[in-house]
Amino acid sequence: MSLFINIPEDKEPLPSLKTGRGKLLWIASTDHKQLGIMYLCLALFFFVIGGLEAMAIRAQLALPDNDLISPELYNQIFTMHGTTMIFLVLMPAMVGLATYLIPLMIGANEMAFPRLNAFSLWMTCLGGMLLYFSFFAGGAPNAGWFNYAPLSENNYSSTKGVDYFLVGLILTGIGSIGAGLNFITTILTLRSPDIKLNMLPLFVWMMLVNAFLMLAAFPLLNAGLFMMLIDRQFDAHFFIPSTGGSAILWQHFFWAFGHPEVYILALPAFGIISEVIPVFSRKPIYGYKFVASSSVAIGLLSYSVWAHHMFSVGLSNAVNGFFAISSMLIGIPTGLKVINWIGTMHKGSISLSIPMLFAIAFLVDFTFGGLSGISFAIVPIDWQLTDTYYLVAHLHYVFLGGSLFGIFAGIYYWFPKISGRMLSPKLGKWHFWLFVLGFNLTFFLQHILGILGMPRRIYTYPDLPYWKVLNIFSSIGAVFMFIGMAIFFWNIYKTLKKPRTAVANPWDAWTLEWSTPSPPELKNFDEIPQVHSRRPLWDLNNPDNPDKKLN
Amino acid sequence: MPNYYFLKITDVDLIEELFVYFLIVASIIFLLVVFFTFFFLFRYGVKKRPKKPSQIESAGQAESVLAIIVTIVIGVFVYLTIVTMEKVQTIPENPKPFLEITGHQWWWEAKYPNSGVVTSNQIYIPTGKKILLKLNSADVIHSWWVPELGRKMDMMPGRDNYMWFYADKEGEYLGTCSEFCGVQHARMRIRVTALNPEAFEVWEQQQLRPVATTNTKDFLKGKQLFETKTCTNCHAINGTDFKENIGPNLTHFASRKRFLADMKVNNEKNLRAWLTNPQDVKSGAKMPNFILSESEVDALVAYLNYLK
Repeated sequence: MSLFINIPEDKEPLPSLKTGRGKLLWIASTDHKQLGIMYLCLALFFFVIGGLEAMAIRAQLALPDNDLISPELYNQIFTMHGTTMIFLVLMPAMVGLATYLIPLMIGANEMAFPRLNAFSLWMTCLGGMLLYFSFFAGGAPNAGWFNYAPLSENNYSSTKGVDYFLVGLILTGIGSIGAGLNFITTILTLRSPDIKLNMLPLFVWMMLVNAFLMLAAFPLLNAGLFMMLIDRQFDAHFFIPSTGGSAILWQHFFWAFGHPEVYILALPAFGIISEVIPVFSRKPIYGYKFVASSSVAIGLLSYSVWAHHMFSVGLSNAVNGFFAISSMLIGIPTGLKVINWIGTMHKGSISLSIPMLFAIAFLVDFTFGGLSGISFAIVPIDWQLTDTYYLVAHLHYVFLGGSLFGIFAGIYYWFPKISGRMLSPKLGKWHFWLFVLGFNLTFFLQHILGILGMPRRIYTYPDLPYWKVLNIFSSIGAVFMFIGMAIFFWNIYKTLKKPRTAVANPWDAWTLEWSTPSPPELKNFDEIPQVHSRRPLWDLNNPDNPDKKLN
Repeated sequence: MPNYYFLKITDVDLIEELFVYFLIVASIIFLLVVFFTFFFLFRYGVKKRPKKPSQIESAGQAESVLAIIVTIVIGVFVYLTIVTMEKVQTIPENPKPFLEITGHQWWWEAKYPNSGVVTSNQIYIPTGKKILLKLNSADVIHSWWVPELGRKMDMMPGRDNYMWFYADKEGEYLGTCSEFCGVQHARMRIRVTALNPEAFEVWEQQQLRPVATTNTKDFLKGKQLFETKTCTNCHAINGTDFKENIGPNLTHFASRKRFLADMKVNNEKNLRAWLTNPQDVKSGAKMPNFILSESEVDALVAYLNYLK
C-alpha cells in the first residue's frame, strides 16, 4: 500500500549516546517521538520544582501564625506554584503525550509541521526558563497565577517579576498555539486513508477538540499579556482604573482564556481515560459517539462560561444568570461521560493494572471535583465560597484528581511503548496508594476550611477553632503525596536502567501505536496495518470476532 | 420545594439553605458513581470473568435517560439560583448606603454617611436592621467578606459596589479580605461588632466628639511629634487641618480594641512595637520606620492613647 508521498527517511534507530550520535542531536530533532519525550521530561522537571513549592506552602500553613516563610517570599512561591503547574507541567505533559502518540495512533510517520513542532517545544521551554530567571532578577512574580490588575501593575508590584511572568507566558502561549495548529493539521490531513473521523481513537478525538480550544484560547491570553506588558513597560493604562483603564477588563481577558484552559487540561485526560478503561475492561468503550460528540459540546460551551470566575466582582443579575446557566449546562456533557466510563466496565473483565488504578481514582476524584464545581455555578453559593480554601480544594480535585491522575494513567500505560521497558507495578502501587490517599487527605479537608472561612492565598492565619488541626492534617497529606512522587521518580530511574524487554503490545491493546515495536523505530510505520474498525489490533488478533467494519 | 424556603429572611440563611440542597443532590450523585464503580470492579473482576467478554457495544440508551434526569435536576438548580440571586442582590436605583467601606492596602476605612462618623478597621453596625453597604477600593482589588453577615463582594477600584448586610444578634463577627491584595493580604482581617440600636447610637455619639486634648507634657510632646514627623501626611485627625486618608483616621484611636486590620490588640506594648519598627510587626505595610528614639515613642504612645 502506498499511502504516503515517499520522502526518503532516516531508518537508523533513535539517536542516543549508545548510537554514538550524541545527546546534542536531541536539540536539533524534529522527530515527534523525541519531541514528545522532551515535552514529558520538561513537565517532570517542572513538576519537581512546582511540587517543592507546594511543600513549602504546606509547611508554612501547617501551623497558625507561622513565620517560617516571609510574606513576600510566600506570595512569590504560591504564584510560581500555580503558574508552573498549569503552564509548565500539565500543559507540556498533555501536549507531550499527544505529540508522541497522535501520529502513531493515526498511522502517520510524522506531524504535519515537524519544525513547528520543535519550535513549539523550545518556546515552551524558553518561557519556563524566563519565568524562573525572575528569581535571579530581583524577585519572582507575586500577584497570583491570574495576575489581577491593578495589583500586577507597576504601582503595586515594583519588582521585575510580573514582567518575567508576562514574557514567559507569552512564549509558552506561542508554543501552545503552534502545538494546537500542528495537532489539527496532522489529525485532519495525515490520517491513514482507511481511518475515517469516526474511527479515530478517543484520545485523538479529544486532542482534536482540544487543539481547537488551544488555538482560540491562547491568543486571548497573549493579547491580554501584551497589553499588560505595554502598561508596565510603556506606561499605558489598559488595566489601571485610576487613569481611565479597567481592572475588570483584565479579568475578562484572563478568564475568557482561563476557563477554556481548564478544559484544555481536562479533555486530554478524558482521552487517556477513554483509552485505558476499555483496554483493562477488555471491552470497547460504551458510547463512542457520545464521548466524541459531547466533547465538541464541551469545547463550544467552554467559551461561554468564563464569568463564573467573576461572580463576586459585582456584575448584574442578568449577566450572572447567563453565566450560571451556561456553567451548569457544561456540567451535563462532562458529567455524562462518567456514565460512559462506568458503562464500559459493565460486564467487562477488569484487571487492576496501575493505569487502571489511576483511571478508577480519576473516576472518583474527578466526579467529586466536578460536583464541587457545580456549587460555583450556583451564584449565591459562589458569593460565599469563592476565593476560599473550598475553591482551592475544588480546583485541585479537578487538576490533580482529573488531569494529573489521567496523566499518571497515561504514563504508566504508554511508558513501555515510549521507553521499551515496563514500570515496576509494585512500586507503581506504592506510588498510587500514597499519592491518592495523601491527595484526598490534603484537599478534602480544605473544603471544610473554606466553609469555615479560610480565604485562599494567605501566608498565615490566626488560630481560630478547627483551623489548626485541619491544616496540620492537610499538610500531612502533602507529605504522603511527596513520598509517593519520590517513589514514582525512583521507579522511572530504576526502570530506565534495565534492558529493553517490553513487547510491542504488552497490554494487549487495540490502537495502532501498539503495532509498532517498543520503542518505535525512527520511521513509525513501514507498512500501515489494515484498519477497518475502531480497534484494528483487536481485529488482527480476533479474526473470528472482528469489530463492526466502518469503511 | 417546601414553602418555608420563601419565608427565610437573611441572605446568609437563603444561601445556606441552597447549599444544603446542593449538598444533598451532589452527595447522592457522588455516592451513585462510587457505588457503581466499585460494584463493577468487584462484580466484573478479571478472575471471575471470561478472558474475552462479549464485545457487543450498547446503543447508549443509558446516556439519553440520564441526560434527561440530569437536565431536570440542573433546571431546578437554575431556578433556585436565579430566585435566590434576585433576593440577595437587590440594589435600589438611588442607593443610599448606611455604611461606606473603602479597602486600602491593608486596612479598612469606614464612613457612616448618615451621622458623619469616620473610623477605620473597628466597624460597628446596629442589629436587627438590613443595612446597605457601599464598597470600593483606594488601590487594588479587595473583597469584603463576613460570612455570617452577608455575601462576599469585591471592592473594585474606580467602581462602587453595593450589598446588603444584616446582623440579628449582638456580638463580634469575623471576616477577611478575600481577594489577593498584596504582601499583607493575610493580615487584612475584618472584625464587625454588632450592637443593639441604642448602644450603636451611643457609640456613634462617642465617635462624633471632637478630638480629645489635655495639657500633660507627654501628650503635648506627642502631639507635636505627630504633626512634625510627617505622620499627618497620611493620617487624619478630625477637627484639624490634617485630612489625608492614606493611612487610618486616628481621631479616636484609643477607643479601638484592635489595630492593624485586626492583627494586634490595641495596647501599649503592641503600639510601642509598631511605632518602633512597623516593618518588623507587619512587613510590607505602608508605614515606614521613622527611627524614633525611645522617648519619642513614649510621647507618641501617650498621645495616641489619649485619643479616646
